[in-house]
Amino acid sequence: MRNECDKVLDYFNDQLSENEKAQFEQHLESCSECREELEELRELTADLPFSSEPVDPPEGMKDRVLGAVFEEDEPVSNEEDPVVYMDEHREQKQEQVPKQSKRPWVVRGLAAALILSLVGNLYALTNNGQEQVSDPEPEPPQIEESTDQVAKRVQLKGENTQANATAAMIRQNEKELLTIQAEQLTPLQGEEVYQVWLIQGETPYRAGTFVANENGEGAVAFSMDQLPEDVEWDAVAVSKEPDANSETPQGEVVMSSSL
Amino acid sequence: MSNRDAELYQKMIDGDKQSLEALYDKYEKLLYSFVIKLSSDETLAEEVLQEVFIKLWTQKAKYDNTKGKFSSWLVTITRYTAIDQIRGNKKHNVSLQEETDVPEEQTQSTEDLVEWKEKSAVMKQAVQKLSDDQKQMVDLFYFKGLSQSKIAEQCNLPLGTVKGRLRLALKHLKEHVSALEGGIRDA
Ligand SMILES: [Zn+2]
Repeated sequence: MRNECDKVLDYFNDQLSENEKAQFEQHLESCSECREELEELRELTADLPFSSEPVDPPEGMKDRVLGAVFEEDEPVSNEEDPVVYMDEHREQKQEQVPKQSKRPWVVRGLAAALILSLVGNLYALTNNGQEQVSDPEPEPPQIEESTDQVAKRVQLKGENTQANATAAMIRQNEKELLTIQAEQLTPLQGEEVYQVWLIQGETPYRAGTFVANENGEGAVAFSMDQLPEDVEWDAVAVSKEPDANSETPQGEVVMSSSL
Repeated sequence: MSNRDAELYQKMIDGDKQSLEALYDKYEKLLYSFVIKLSSDETLAEEVLQEVFIKLWTQKAKYDNTKGKFSSWLVTITRYTAIDQIRGNKKHNVSLQEETDVPEEQTQSTEDLVEWKEKSAVMKQAVQKLSDDQKQMVDLFYFKGLSQSKIAEQCNLPLGTVKGRLRLALKHLKEHVSALEGGIRDA
């Protein structure tokens, strides 16, 4: 059995088993010598990375890396764990980073394409006028998989925004319902609303309108029997509109997802 | 400089993607070059960077500005991530080869990061001033991240003497750095 003080180097290089590591960290609390040694090691090695010869990263690396990064969940701000000594390698083992999740700018590309195709779209859509601006209070629609059948569910995300939403197509007694639950929405001003669009080819169809509450949440359930039947929808998008009457997207597409 | 980093980091925590992107832009090349030095593997280097920035974004690794500079923290995270991945890849066995081939001309390459530019020449010279044994010690310990017993094996040293040798090597390095920096200041 090795003396705990002999494990400093292996601790620094993250070479201990989880057990040993925990043990050593306990030891650290009572052994100032080891603490100082660790501190010294960090200090003395701190500038070594700067001795690396510059190497140019491969083409497209930034897009690939950031694409994968932003596919991850948003940062969680209010975690309680305080930062503890040497915790840089503590979390190492706990996490599984999805390897090669290389669909970086799909969403971005789609959103851009939407803006382009939607802006140029001069079709005046028939105004069915049937949906109401739905207020997210008091309760967003609950998606009950037990009774209703969820035909499809997607996550909507956008570029440069925290806003995101879950869209679900639900079959309920022969009827199709599109529900959107959005969060982290930026506040609206005046008459502004969030408008949901279902898109087929280049044609957007109104598919529900909602506003954001003070928590940045919004939701709407939209009965799809107002829409043409048997359509293969390509995408769903949410845009911010000047009011609830836009027949085609006038404002920016906040988030979207292909279907 | 590091204030700016802390600022960007804080904004990133609040969900600002552009701030993460700014940090990425600033440190991409240093971290990439560093992992290449650690692993000599371009594919691995990209994977490591991806993992590092995922850790940043998802706050699986958290920076605390009372614990020192952001850049030091970031390279530390990067080093651990790299060591971990290298360990996972069996093909990366210890090699003692020197990093002889410098893949790129070093024209303006370090200009994007002032800190790197300032320190790289001094650090490289300081490392060069070490004896071969000391260089090897630093390399096996810091850049290869080996365990104490592996280092003992590689260097034909009793386990118990590794720590002393390493500290001596690192202290020499520090002295060389101070001397070089002093020289620059006096000049
Ligand atoms: Zn101790």
